Amino acid sequence: MNMMSATECLLQMCEENFELEDYQSGVPRWCTGCGDNAILAAVQRLCRDEGLRPEKTVFVSGIGCSSRFPHYMNTYGFHGIHGRALPVAEGVKMARPDLTVFVNTGDGDCCSIGAAHWIHAIRYNMNLTVFLHDNQIYGLTKKQASPTSPIGTKSNTTPRGSYLEALNPLTVTLGVQNVSFVAQAVDWIPEVLFDIVKAAYHHKGLSFVRILQRCPEWLPKSLDPWMNDPNKVQLLNHENGLQFSAGLSKVYKNQLQHDPSNMDRAREIASSTDLVPVGILYRNPDVPCYEDLRHSDKLRTAELTSAGLNAELDKYTVWPQEMKEKVA
Amino acid sequence: MEADTQAHVAFFLTGRRPSEHLDAVDGLDLRPALFAGYRELARLRHDFPLVLVADCADKQFVQSLSGLTDSALAFAARGSEGERIRKHVLQLEEEIRTLSTDGATGMLSALWATAAGRLAKGADKSLEDSLRRARAAIKVDGELANCDAAMPARLLRHAWNAVQKQKAEAFRKDLDRLVLKLSDILKADFERSAAGRSAKHLKESVGTGYGDAFDFDALSHLLAKALPKDEFPESRRRRIRELLAVLGAQQFFPASDAAAKKAAAAKPYSFFFDTCAEALSTFRKRMPKLIELAKAIAIAELEIDGQYSESKHDALFEQFGANGLDPQDLAPFPDYLVCINAEKMQAVEHAHLMEILSSGLPIKVLLQIDDILEESPNGEGNLTAGMRSRQIANMAIGLNEVYVLQSSSSNLFQFRERMLRGLTYRGPALFSVFSGASGKASGLPPYLMSAAAMESRAFPAFTYDPSAGPNWASRFNLEANSQVDLDWPIQGFAYEDEQHQTVSEDIAFTLVDFVASDHRYARHLARVPRDRWNGSMIPVDEALTRERKGLPDKIPSVLMVDVNNVLQKVIVDARLIREARRCREMWHSLQELGGVHNSHAEKLLAREKKAWEDRMQQEAEAHAATAPAAAPGAATAVVPAAPAAASAPAEQEPERAPNEAYIETARCSTCNECTTLNNKMFAYDRNQQAYIADINAGTYAQLVEAAESCQVSIIHPGKPRNPKEPGLEELLKRAEPFL
Repeated sequence: MNMMSATECLLQMCEENFELEDYQSGVPRWCTGCGDNAILAAVQRLCRDEGLRPEKTVFVSGIGCSSRFPHYMNTYGFHGIHGRALPVAEGVKMARPDLTVFVNTGDGDCCSIGAAHWIHAIRYNMNLTVFLHDNQIYGLTKKQASPTSPIGTKSNTTPRGSYLEALNPLTVTLGVQNVSFVAQAVDWIPEVLFDIVKAAYHHKGLSFVRILQRCPEWLPKSLDPWMNDPNKVQLLNHENGLQFSAGLSKVYKNQLQHDPSNMDRAREIASSTDLVPVGILYRNPDVPCYEDLRHSDKLRTAELTSAGLNAELDKYTVWPQEMKEKVA
Repeated sequence: MEADTQAHVAFFLTGRRPSEHLDAVDGLDLRPALFAGYRELARLRHDFPLVLVADCADKQFVQSLSGLTDSALAFAARGSEGERIRKHVLQLEEEIRTLSTDGATGMLSALWATAAGRLAKGADKSLEDSLRRARAAIKVDGELANCDAAMPARLLRHAWNAVQKQKAEAFRKDLDRLVLKLSDILKADFERSAAGRSAKHLKESVGTGYGDAFDFDALSHLLAKALPKDEFPESRRRRIRELLAVLGAQQFFPASDAAAKKAAAAKPYSFFFDTCAEALSTFRKRMPKLIELAKAIAIAELEIDGQYSESKHDALFEQFGANGLDPQDLAPFPDYLVCINAEKMQAVEHAHLMEILSSGLPIKVLLQIDDILEESPNGEGNLTAGMRSRQIANMAIGLNEVYVLQSSSSNLFQFRERMLRGLTYRGPALFSVFSGASGKASGLPPYLMSAAAMESRAFPAFTYDPSAGPNWASRFNLEANSQVDLDWPIQGFAYEDEQHQTVSEDIAFTLVDFVASDHRYARHLARVPRDRWNGSMIPVDEALTRERKGLPDKIPSVLMVDVNNVLQKVIVDARLIREARRCREMWHSLQELGGVHNSHAEKLLAREKKAWEDRMQQEAEAHAATAPAAAPGAATAVVPAAPAAASAPAEQEPERAPNEAYIETARCSTCNECTTLNNKMFAYDRNQQAYIADINAGTYAQLVEAAESCQVSIIHPGKPRNPKEPGLEELLKRAEPFL
């Protein structure tokens, strides 16, 4: 164990202790019964327990119900544009690696218009914690089918029912090079939701957490089969993953030993359609982070920034003297 | 007893030569027999000379010439021309070694060129080609250092410079970051001020190109309205300016190029000293400045992080460093290096050295010993055999928090990583080095002399690293010594006898062999002419194992060679044997510290072994006594019960009254259904999960409705509290699934 110096102790002795209220900002406008509330509660609890300083924490989102998340966090936030939460978050992390960056994105935001960014963000493996709020429908725009809507979902854009099989965000993520953390949670088991959120936060690299959440307004019965039958939820436990309390295990008896370092098994479990696997599917702490690979020791002074900008702008500058010489 | 043996015994006991058949060794120019093969050291490939590699802070900061040559040959001497290149390059290496032995100094590249020039005379073109190829494969350069009196200090200072350079780079980087960030805070403050939003400043910030495109007065007027309400406190502004002043004026490290350009930075301090007294007083004199800088760095970190709170931190930092700084706090700052010579040390300097070592200061001390065979001032002919340095090194080890490295200079290259560890250790370090370069006693080169001191246990090599672990096993390391588990190392020795037949034998290299090469102790030795050799002359190591009782019948002797490499036998007097015995006892103590033949461990082992044997004996006896009574496979055999399956303790559920309403709070998913229904009856706890805050704040109907609307069915309405509530019968029916 490294001993702390007296100065290090001095620097830490005045650190503040935070309460849940320190992270709360405004009353969420989500519908009553919306799963986003559960995610918000879990994340605020994480911030408090980990003592994350609000001014050092950023929540970045795209567009959708879930993307209102930064409004309800009393931290820095960036409510971005459709599908662009991940590149914005990557930019924040690149420029300010000292900040803790979370991303809130929905099934439409991430898996439809933002799909390209999603794939490449996984590959870049920057140290971000990404929550995919998957309610399987476009809720903010009042019920259109999303890429994760189950086949046959009747919506304003698919009045006769959707024609395609739903996209599985877990298998897609697990298929991308450099993937380092994939987990699945459900909003109706808050204890496990919190444990997963916590594990994701502690993972260095891009942690991708898909959270199945209810939309009581537009798809109120969609998740009932899994919510009402605990045996249809399969908890993934392992000494290197999550371990569940006796109380929870009494209700959720369907548990599977799964080592999160086993990628092949993770892909197999992720492909399951009847059962909903809940827990950490894959974790590899050894995948390098892009910001570490590209880290520069150079101090970003005003002179350095100015020189960089000038070098870029000079590429598009026409130098009259040089032009004359060329013509001559 | 034969006459010759009588004479030998007399010499052994008195140191006087009563017989004409015993020769004084003065002037015979004898050396230990094992040194016979080392007459021309320059022709032998060994670690020296060393190359002190420039700009390198890892273990490659020093390399041996032979190691560099081998690496170059591995790369360049390939294919059909490989053998030719190898031959030429090894010739060059020998030439460089000869130059260095003759006193030539300079960079490897320069000596390479000189040596190549010498070899080129009369040689064909192929030599030039071989050397060019090998030279291209050597990517480093540096000063050459031979094993002489100056080498230990040169090598240690070179390593120290490399470590300090690395430290300086890290410190400067950190300092530049702090200065930039603090300056940015002041800049941001200015931009928010009235002056920063004045038309004049706004115009200057846009530049000349678009100077006419804006109405800066209007812009300034608009921005003035938007000035932030929370003012930047003047005290903070002043504090940041003071921090910048302290950081800019520091003299512990050279200023960065950028900072030096902006302001003429003060000349950095020197950290290299020739005396402990000077180093100590300088350290103390600079302490207030060091504390001021460390404090400024700590406050700057808080300021940059936006964490500095005057109400909390002012008082804390007021007394910063009042009790000095601990080793972790001192670690980023330069270490002091003191190079002293044991022979020149006076009592006062000795006291200062002890003060340094015992105070935990980051001062590294090289204690160089040139002569470990000086005579003791206590008595005629007594040896000190490294006592002076041994005392200091042992005392330093006893202090527990000092990194101690003891080594002969011949072994320093092998200890290069340990040197770096000592130099990077957070606290004092003592490097006790025997140079072998006294020049007083023998014609042997320092390399050979120092190697012999280590081999003979006169100056064993070891390290004591307090940072390596909590116990002696991890901290103390004796393994660099030859055949560490023996009293004396045994070496094979072969010679040709009078019949030109090769004779091989194993001989021990003892303290006496080492001392025998020193002319000052010639009076303790007497050569026995070959025709007088007899069976009573036994090797010193054998004599040392014999018990001392009565008149000796065997006389210890050592094998030596003269200038013509003719083997000689030299008998030794009792005084030298006494010294050898004392040296061996000291070696035994070191062995114990190093875990070799540890008496405590051996005692414990013997005790445990005896206890085990007794237990086995008792069991055997008990078995023998009960065996006939026990039928094979008898049903009475006791099978040990399998350990109960480990089961997690069930969570304790709170006790409830049978009709009580409750919520399984831990399973609440914060969906707001119940709190929307009645936020007085239902509330969220500190984890934002629902519980019944006030059962009387609502009706039973609301409880039932909440249970029905709860998405995860965790609300249990219990039985109604008010028997007069309307519609109870129907409500009880609806509540039934949730009870």
